Amino acid sequence: MYLVAHIDTEICANTSCKLCTQFCPEANTILYNNNAGKDIGLKYGSAYVAVDRCKGCAQCVWVCDNMAKHNAIKMEMIDQIGDQALTENITYSEKNSTAILASPIRG
Amino acid sequence: MSLDYVKFTPGFGKFMPKEYRDMVDFGPFGKKTSVSQVGTFKEILEEHPMCAGCAMTLFIRLAMIAFPNPEDTITVGTAGCGRLAISQAAIPFVYGNYGDQNGVASGLARGLKLRFGDKPKDVVVMAGDGGMADIGFAQTLHSWFRKEKFTTIMLDNEVYGNTGGQESGMTNKGQVLKMAPLGKKFEKMDMLGMAKVAGCAYVATVVPNNPRRVESVIKKAVLIAREVGPTYIQAYTSCNIEYAIPTEKVLEDCNVVENDRYKFSEYISDEAKEALAHLYGYKEYLPKPAKAIE
Ligand SMILES: Cc1ncc(C[n+]2csc(CCOP(=O)(O)OP(=O)(O)O)c2C)c(N)n1
Ligand code: SF4
Ligand code: SF4
Ligand code: SF4
Repeated sequence: MYLVAHIDTEICANTSCKLCTQFCPEANTILYNNNAGKDIGLKYGSAYVAVDRCKGCAQCVWVCDNMAKHNAIKMEMIDQIGDQALTENITYSEKNSTAILASPIRG
Repeated sequence: MSLDYVKFTPGFGKFMPKEYRDMVDFGPFGKKTSVSQVGTFKEILEEHPMCAGCAMTLFIRLAMIAFPNPEDTITVGTAGCGRLAISQAAIPFVYGNYGDQNGVASGLARGLKLRFGDKPKDVVVMAGDGGMADIGFAQTLHSWFRKEKFTTIMLDNEVYGNTGGQESGMTNKGQVLKMAPLGKKFEKMDMLGMAKVAGCAYVATVVPNNPRRVESVIKKAVLIAREVGPTYIQAYTSCNIEYAIPTEKVLEDCNVVENDRYKFSEYISDEAKEALAHLYGYKEYLPKPAKAIE
């Protein structure tokens, strides 16, 4: 198993900062869902990680901790993340993208 | 090289990979996308085999987002790490033999001009410091002296990263590397100074710890190359493998190096300022109205 980035929606959706989306070295890996968390009263939508594209470098963790100062991203074992986004379940729309989150397949 | 080249033949869409369909439907072609919108659209760069956390990868990603007309852009690269990513994008990529990239780009830019006239077609070279300042040095300088109209971007990781850590002309004096065990004996080459002497219309240094600045520099360089003459960007893109930088400290290293030897700098010729102001609406370069004499 290996580590990938995981974003805590509850923390992120209170900020609207989007910084990590600009600093991940990989394209289309940290995406932003403008509506995430709105159903439970969170304000701004949240960043999320397409785990199948994440290389586990943890630069986003540094960005969220040191630049954004929100501490919303942690590195976690890929099979331990309950709700994860995969590229094949991500749907783009005008100025947004949403993912159907799924549990990892445990062998 | 048009919006149509990414679209599929009717009926074939459903057989294409998801990433390709997303590119056609939500890619940046024909739209104005910017770094501030990332995370909400499909980027032209795809997955690639460059190392995790490599700053060069981040720079290439940002540069591709910043291309003013991606549907009318061709990239040129050569041996070295960068081409591993540059070639994995939804725009044409031409591979020049090691060091030949600026010669190849010269022919390409001239050919496109003959074929398409004033319709903008942008050629952007991205190559490593070894490929550009050592082995491709003559071709790089000559393309500038000839005033060839394309953008040259040096991915300066201050080492030969792809071949395991030899010093390049752009390595700093005294630097010890795996294959330079006694430390480099000479100063880092002044390619910025040479670019100005050779007549580049735009010369800038940039570090990828500031995505908006990368975007602004790339846009200006490409537009000026289109209208005026050669442009040169020198980007610090650390090699975390050869310089043993932990991946989560890569941006911290960018900050340290920026303050130490890679401060942001930008030279724009008068002709280039005029082109940006009059053709592309850059108000900051409009001539200042003369002050009334009291
Ligand atoms: C003519 C020729 N000589 C040597 C090589 C071997 N070679 C491949 S990549 C490389 C070094 C690349 O260093 P640099 O241009 O600085 O790019 P980096 O990998 O650091 O990004 C060399 C010497 C080659 N491919 N062709
Ligand atoms: S940097 Fe942190 S708070 Fe900001 S968008 Fe990313 S995860 Fe959310
Ligand atoms: S760990 Fe690295 S590759 Fe993964 S999401 Fe974070 S910055 Fe991107
Ligand atoms: S060897 Fe260095 S420059 Fe090349 S991809 Fe790896 S970290 Fe980047």
